[in-house]
Amino acid sequence: MFWINKIKQKGLPSLLLKALVFLFILFVLDFVIGTILANLYSKQKPGEIYRTTYSLDSTKADVLIFGASRANHHYVPEIFEKRLNLSCYNTGRDGQIIFYNYAVLKSVLKRYSPKIVILDFSRNEFEVERQSYDRLSALIPYYKTHPEIRHIIDLRSPFEKYKLVSKIYPYNSLIFTIFMGATFSHEERKHVNEQNGYIPLTKSCYTRLTVDTSYGTSLLDSNKINAFKSFVKDCRNANVKLFVVLSPLLIKYLHGDPSVNVAMKIAKKYNVPVFSFINDPLFHNHLLFADDGTHLNDRGAKIFTNQVIDSMIKNQGGNISRQNLVDKQNISKN
Amino acid sequence: MYVKVSYIFIILFVILINYWLGILIQKTNSKQRKNVFFYLSLLANLAVLIFFKYWNFLILNLFEFFGWLHLTNSVSPPFLDIALPIGLSYYIFQTIGYITDIKRGTINAETNFYRFTLFTIYFPKLLVGPIERANHFLPQLKRKISFDKENIIEGAKRIAWGLFKKLVVADRIAIYHTAVMLHSDRESGITLLFASLLYTFQVYADFSGYTDIALGTARMFGFHLMENFKQPLLAKNVSDFWRRWHISLSSWVNDYIFNPIALKYRDWGEWGVFYALFVSFVVIGIWHGAAWTYVFFGILQAIALIYETVTRRARKRMLKKINPQLYKSVSILLTFLFVTFSLIVFQSKTIGDAFVIIDRMFTNPGTLFIFPSAALFMIIGCAIIMIYDFQEEYKIWSFSLFSNKSWVIQEVSYALLLIYILLAGVFDGGQFIYFAF
Repeated sequence: MFWINKIKQKGLPSLLLKALVFLFILFVLDFVIGTILANLYSKQKPGEIYRTTYSLDSTKADVLIFGASRANHHYVPEIFEKRLNLSCYNTGRDGQIIFYNYAVLKSVLKRYSPKIVILDFSRNEFEVERQSYDRLSALIPYYKTHPEIRHIIDLRSPFEKYKLVSKIYPYNSLIFTIFMGATFSHEERKHVNEQNGYIPLTKSCYTRLTVDTSYGTSLLDSNKINAFKSFVKDCRNANVKLFVVLSPLLIKYLHGDPSVNVAMKIAKKYNVPVFSFINDPLFHNHLLFADDGTHLNDRGAKIFTNQVIDSMIKNQGGNISRQNLVDKQNISKN
Repeated sequence: MYVKVSYIFIILFVILINYWLGILIQKTNSKQRKNVFFYLSLLANLAVLIFFKYWNFLILNLFEFFGWLHLTNSVSPPFLDIALPIGLSYYIFQTIGYITDIKRGTINAETNFYRFTLFTIYFPKLLVGPIERANHFLPQLKRKISFDKENIIEGAKRIAWGLFKKLVVADRIAIYHTAVMLHSDRESGITLLFASLLYTFQVYADFSGYTDIALGTARMFGFHLMENFKQPLLAKNVSDFWRRWHISLSSWVNDYIFNPIALKYRDWGEWGVFYALFVSFVVIGIWHGAAWTYVFFGILQAIALIYETVTRRARKRMLKKINPQLYKSVSILLTFLFVTFSLIVFQSKTIGDAFVIIDRMFTNPGTLFIFPSAALFMIIGCAIIMIYDFQEEYKIWSFSLFSNKSWVIQEVSYALLLIYILLAGVFDGGQFIYFAF
């Protein structure tokens, strides 16, 4: 019993008491602040967070656009609505890849089946890159409320569910964005110029067309390939007409890309049309259509959107109207 | 993660050679033999350091030099594809100091092998120091360590501050700084200037944050490692800065390089001091890495210190004529700007790149590239660090949250600090996206 007395003398019991009090304070603060943040998060006005929440929980659009920044800035919903007479929403989000797109699709399909889905696909989409997983942090606030996307968020790390013991953790790095997004009204946030999810870019490019002689990244991430496969399969199972589109860049590629080749094979297997505008001379020859080397500006986006619709109509034998799609859905269901 | 088990033999070699030669230096009475053992040890330490850290740099420059003399042939440079062993520069400098102290007779050689091994590679300081001194750390290893509540609490507090500096301040600024410098050819002058100013805070928060974690961890085990930073951004001149910044390295260089050289060349008068300063800061520069930018960084520091030595009297006279508070404030600001300027060289890949960035700062108009939320995170983080340092330096407020007499207030304060780390800390690469477009 000598060592117990020794420890008592050195103050272990009071240390344990202090540690317990500290953990209690930490828990209370985490709970209170986390609850406030969760509440404010759900009240976001236009902005990135609002668009993600809207895509997951509210959109009922007939046409949905999926992809990263190039999806978000290249596809103008207004043109889809006018030309196809179908409602359209752009769910594209900067920096996100197939994991995010698949998660949004899962949530959408849980609620309803859109008529058309357009997935903007990029070169190197399947490359092995740690940051692709880190970027799934954009979906952590939905982990508890959207069980259908948990397995995708869990790709970040097997400890994600344990980290979520903290109520603050889902809102890491978002505190100021959340406060700004919840404080100002729609009117005050008019600068967030969004049109059914689409954010137009307004600059004109000052860089020249570059030539890429690389063969693309050959080391591919099987998780990403599987997510793409699941995306295609889920669309097919829900009778959603899927189009995969590779939008243009101010880069002339001399060689193919392993990610694109794999995606093409999967698309062919499931009879999914793929439209590639990667080396489209129209965009290579007109720098005024580009915002930077990899993004079109609003002017370029409008031209490109019309081209995509033209390709879709041509692919569907000249008829892609609402009634036609409904009829096709009914036929495939029967 | 890169792991190479064979690298354990490098540490083992350094430990064995220094342990053995340290004892031999101690035991021998012959001055000549002492010198032989000392230089043998020095050679072994430097050979390991040069081979693993500077080989490719030396070979590249040697071949470029031959090329300049038109002496190139078809032989390709024998570059090594090896990773730098972690903490190498730290423990090599530490063992060189240990051996030098034995030779000087200021310490006795450690005869207990396990104790010497612990002294060399004690885990909290292995990665980022501090570069411990034998007379400070070895005696601590000899005393009996027992559980102490105070050590646990103080150590944990120190770790919490370290995490705040690293995760909330340094890593947050790193996202912005990396994005700006990646496209420095496209960014406006004001953006480059803002990123460069923030970089000074980033380096400070990163390095001192790691040090706090190391010191806190060691403290929890009952050891007091030497302090490495003492409010360096409040330094009044460059020599003051080097008394506060990376203290374990600057004092090491002072004791083992500057003082011996200055003493040897004391007949040269001030020129002896200048020469010693120059050599010392070139060593400090190149210690950071194998590149000319680090050498140039060291030279810049040496030039500033020589300038301060030359103008010491003139500045003293100026101080008598100007309001001391104003003089001090301007001195702090100028020192901060000089450090920021020299860190532009430090962070650049080549000296040419550094000058391009500096040139663009003053010649490229445009707007500041920043997101409001990112700016808030960075500014709040820097402000907290500066307020903390200001309080440590000048003790302005008698009331303190973090060292309050009431342990409840202390606990609430530290809980809030952890909550802020959870809210604003950068835990993975997910945040990099906010600056990628």
